[in-house]
Amino acid sequence: MLPLPPAVEVREDAQGATVVALRGELDVGTVSRVRRELIAQLAERPVRSLEIDATGLERGDMSGMVILHQLRSGVFTRGVRGRVLGLRPELENLLVAFPSEETLRQVEAGPAPVSVPEEVGAATLSLARDARVQITFLGSVVQALATAARTPRRTRFAELVRVFDTAGANALPLVTLVSLLTGFVIAFESVEPLARFGAEIYIADTIGTAMTRELGPIMTAIVLAGRSGTAFAAELGTMKVNDELDALETMGLDPIRFLVIQRIAACTALTPLLTAYSMAAGIAGGAIVMRAVGFTPAAIRNELAASILASDVAFGIGKSLLFGALVAAVGCQRGLETGRGAIAVGRSATRAVVASIVLIILVDALFAVLAFVLGK
Amino acid sequence: MSVRAEDATVVVDEVALGYDGTIIQRDLSFSVRRGEVFGILGGSGSGKSTLLRALIGLHPPLGGRILLEGEDISAVQGAARGRLLRRFGVMYQSGALFGSLTVLENVRLPLDEFTDLEPEEKDLVALAKLDQVGLCTAARKLPSQLSGGMQKRVAIARAMALDPGILFLDEPSAGLDPIISADIDALICRLSRRFCITSVIVTHELPSILAIIDRCVLLDIDARTIIAEGRPVDLRDHSTDPRVRRFFRRDGDESGRAVP
Repeated sequence: MLPLPPAVEVREDAQGATVVALRGELDVGTVSRVRRELIAQLAERPVRSLEIDATGLERGDMSGMVILHQLRSGVFTRGVRGRVLGLRPELENLLVAFPSEETLRQVEAGPAPVSVPEEVGAATLSLARDARVQITFLGSVVQALATAARTPRRTRFAELVRVFDTAGANALPLVTLVSLLTGFVIAFESVEPLARFGAEIYIADTIGTAMTRELGPIMTAIVLAGRSGTAFAAELGTMKVNDELDALETMGLDPIRFLVIQRIAACTALTPLLTAYSMAAGIAGGAIVMRAVGFTPAAIRNELAASILASDVAFGIGKSLLFGALVAAVGCQRGLETGRGAIAVGRSATRAVVASIVLIILVDALFAVLAFVLGK
Repeated sequence: MSVRAEDATVVVDEVALGYDGTIIQRDLSFSVRRGEVFGILGGSGSGKSTLLRALIGLHPPLGGRILLEGEDISAVQGAARGRLLRRFGVMYQSGALFGSLTVLENVRLPLDEFTDLEPEEKDLVALAKLDQVGLCTAARKLPSQLSGGMQKRVAIARAMALDPGILFLDEPSAGLDPIISADIDALICRLSRRFCITSVIVTHELPSILAIIDRCVLLDIDARTIIAEGRPVDLRDHSTDPRVRRFFRRDGDESGRAVP
């Protein structure tokens, strides 16, 4: 037999006590309706003492028993507490499961608000700790590289090949797309201003210089940071969470020698190759625009050959070596310092990509200033 | 010991399980009666976790049907499936607590999503559940600040947030020391008895099996089906099947396996 729909009746008994009678089903599906009725019926009524007649309650759950608990605690009656009468034993079991007020008082309060000076202090300390960790990491990498050079047999070259494949070869489609479109867009945007001076032919110079000196290395490094730096951080972070790094250490294996130097070596070697490819793709994108605005293939070839300088290409490739090492090192370092849980892995990946991009831009600016000071 | 149809809250009927066309268990048939603590036992690789995943609707069986409260978990769709899913709770082996949420928020999450309670009422219900597992005072902590045993207790509290009729527990005492393990066993037993919850437990921890499980089925990796059903104590003391005796006596065979 289905239980009756919930009903609430508020009355006064012979002694003047307020009686709240509940009937039917009081559960997650009916609790809102019962609460509304209770509030409406008790709103204007002065309550001196309260009895809750639960004899008619046929079924309920913990969500429904909240109403009884609140009635009993005086929530609906301005602090006048009530006695529950006639409750079925199975519902009584649910009602007594609510924690006592004493227990609720013991529930720890949330974290206290932190003052601004405390926040500034904590951030400064965190920066100092971060700097120390990175310097230590750099030292460990150099040490591990030296050890690997002395004992090449113990270096895991298979890992190096794997990274070369995933971070290098597999990145070619993305580098092609990004670089080709970058060259295309720059050339496209240059056409109109240069045309005002009848100098469209200098699109080749714009593209050649921009792609070889700046955009080729930068775009490649950013693609690498987004694809591989985050992957390194997530891989090593997950290994940390799964205690795999602890397992390595307890086996007497240095995680940096075992996992990090292969990634740094592979990235340092593959980034110049990807960068050269990116330069070519960007220049091809520019050439497409030049052809579209009417230059002959021979004119495009001649102008590009004249505008692309070996020194610019060398400058770009040189920078990319450092970018590759930076992206891999930052990704691995963030991965190794991952905390516990899935969130920590996500945080490490985010920190890796943000730090990599900031460092790429800073190093690039440094190179630009140095090139200017040294006269190219 | 047969279960009357009207008493059965979980019915597994001629179920076959497998991956990619490979059958790992077949002809699985048993019923769990309301309020019972039921065990799915077996050695590593015997398919007991796959069976649990099938019971909770995460792994469709290759054949047969699984009825929870009379509804076929593989067949129900849409809103009916949502309602059925809310009628049981699951405690995963790792706890599977959300690391970004506090203990209280973890337990409150199902209440936030599926009830119309006021925010303070949800807190009250969540705290009541935490109180049941003895962790009210850890409500504001993050899961990462708790021990493994405490995380499992929070996972039980979260599984019970919506007052389910059935609780599925995957290896509740795995990885815990014997004392904490016994505490978890006692907790499961107490909650099942007090709130008349049907508990289905996947485990191979012998002390837990003997302490809390009313009835069980034993899966076998080689037979690929149920090789025994009954009360654990009866199976341990009276079974004549050498595979069952080996499981309950923890004898290894020639290959070094500790179970059939």
